[in-house]
Amino acid sequence: MLFQLLLNGLIAGSIYALIALGFAVIYKTVRFFHLAHGVVYTSGAYLAYTLVIQLGVNSIVSFFFASILAGIIGVGIDRLVYRPLRKQKAANLVFLIASFGVFIFIQNLLQLIYGAQILTIRTGPVKEGHHILGAVITDTQILILVVCCALFGLLWVFIRRARLGKAMRAVADDPVAASVVGIYPEKIIFASFALGSALAGAAGILISLETNIEPTMGFNAILKGIIASIIGGIGSIPGAVAGGFFLGIAENLGIWKIQAGWKDSIAFAILIIFLLIRPGGIFGVAVEKERI
Amino acid sequence: MEYLLHILVIAGIYIILTLSLNLILGYTGLPALGHAAFSCVGAYVSALLALNYGISPWIGLLIGAIAASLMGGVIAFPSLRLKGDYLALATFGFAVIVYSIAKNWVAVTRGPLGLPGIPTFSIGGFQLSSIWSYLILVALLVALTAFLLNRVANSPFGRILKGIREDEIATESLGKNVNRHKVLVFMIGAFFAGIAGSLYAHYITFIDPSSFTIMESITILLMVVFGGMGSIKGSFVGAAILVILPEMLRFLGMPSSIAAPMRQMIYGLLLLLLMLKRPQGILGRYRFR
Repeated sequence: MLFQLLLNGLIAGSIYALIALGFAVIYKTVRFFHLAHGVVYTSGAYLAYTLVIQLGVNSIVSFFFASILAGIIGVGIDRLVYRPLRKQKAANLVFLIASFGVFIFIQNLLQLIYGAQILTIRTGPVKEGHHILGAVITDTQILILVVCCALFGLLWVFIRRARLGKAMRAVADDPVAASVVGIYPEKIIFASFALGSALAGAAGILISLETNIEPTMGFNAILKGIIASIIGGIGSIPGAVAGGFFLGIAENLGIWKIQAGWKDSIAFAILIIFLLIRPGGIFGVAVEKERI
Repeated sequence: MEYLLHILVIAGIYIILTLSLNLILGYTGLPALGHAAFSCVGAYVSALLALNYGISPWIGLLIGAIAASLMGGVIAFPSLRLKGDYLALATFGFAVIVYSIAKNWVAVTRGPLGLPGIPTFSIGGFQLSSIWSYLILVALLVALTAFLLNRVANSPFGRILKGIREDEIATESLGKNVNRHKVLVFMIGAFFAGIAGSLYAHYITFIDPSSFTIMESITILLMVVFGGMGSIKGSFVGAAILVILPEMLRFLGMPSSIAAPMRQMIYGLLLLLLMLKRPQGILGRYRFR
């Protein structure tokens, strides 16, 4: 039982981590809570549905296509909403509320197009899972874990080694100094929205292989993503991954003793405890004093 | 006619909620995102007292409001340490926890089944069940709330609240106890939200957790921001427009599977345009910084 819960936590955690990772990539350069990230994740799932079920495209091809389209949606949100706000030098809360507006708008647009009922992308009969140490894991779940870990690794190498990744870190540290040495911040923000949103899209596609999809799924996802990235230290890439796994495992171990309905409360209780006691997260990332 | 009066009653309840959130958000500048949690506490306390112990709704209204106020005191604690987005997130978290208590503590709240058959208000044996009498009651309470909150906002106490909004450190350097005022403003705001919740419970005579979701908190926030932060008139305008506008869509004759998402899309778009064009709201004076 314990091992099964741990395993469930690990799988839920890998999705949370992927969302948190995309959120962190964006947060690093723009420094506000991009709530609409959750609806990009939902869009990823629905795009995969359209490609695989409605158009009958090969699933691996549609995985890439849907991720890229999710990236384009993210960039579009930035261009249409956030960039004008940046020009006005708007306050963080204005960004937050505007982002919420985008969220509500796109979520209901999806509901208008696809309907409010749940959809499923799974085709063919359900295969029995593999038994490991008394726990059951399905092929899909193994796939989710493997793809997530591969994406974490690739992103880590990209941020550390690639020229664009280094430029992103430079803008994150000091946008003015970065523009002095010839890095144009708007270009980097563009790139971080594209990359972060593609990661959210990928998370949406992966979860659509495992569970049903519905228009409202993004809200819970982005909340868990934000909680995970605060637990790990906001804006930190390895922190987002660690926070995601921590949250997934804590939630699933929590429902070992408490009813499943309390799952969200567990997540938020963890968030409030972290905000009050250790706002820098597990690794204690320095948070600007005036912000918290 | 019944329908029109019903909308006015609902608008009145939302005006009380908007006014009380405006005190916290608009006057004091504390982004509290979980206002529905307070009305949830007010509604459930007052409904349960009436159903289980036969206590008069009038006393229930008061006890519900006090319970909501105590809850406000608890939720105020993060505001002593957190600012801006982080405070918004923490209050949001509290609202989710209150909602899931209402949903999961089945032994007391009956969970998603809700509480049916809540008694209505009565004066000396005369039941306020007709919608006219209820409208008068709500109108009186709206007037009372607006009057009291206007007095609070323009008192020396209210000036300290505005001081906290404009510059917390400067206010503190003048010898004002910022922390105490933050807790108090949350308690006052929550008190009135509790009244609104209780009014709602005894009007509809049925409550379930779905009336107090996060979306509900966001709607109240939208009403404050739309009408104008730090403006009593603005709260009236914001709540009235956002209650009445979606009702108009009903007359366009769209099926509900289209009308419901359309309504939400209009909300989202309004929020977006407001932030882009006029972040202080229609009648507001204060901008987020």
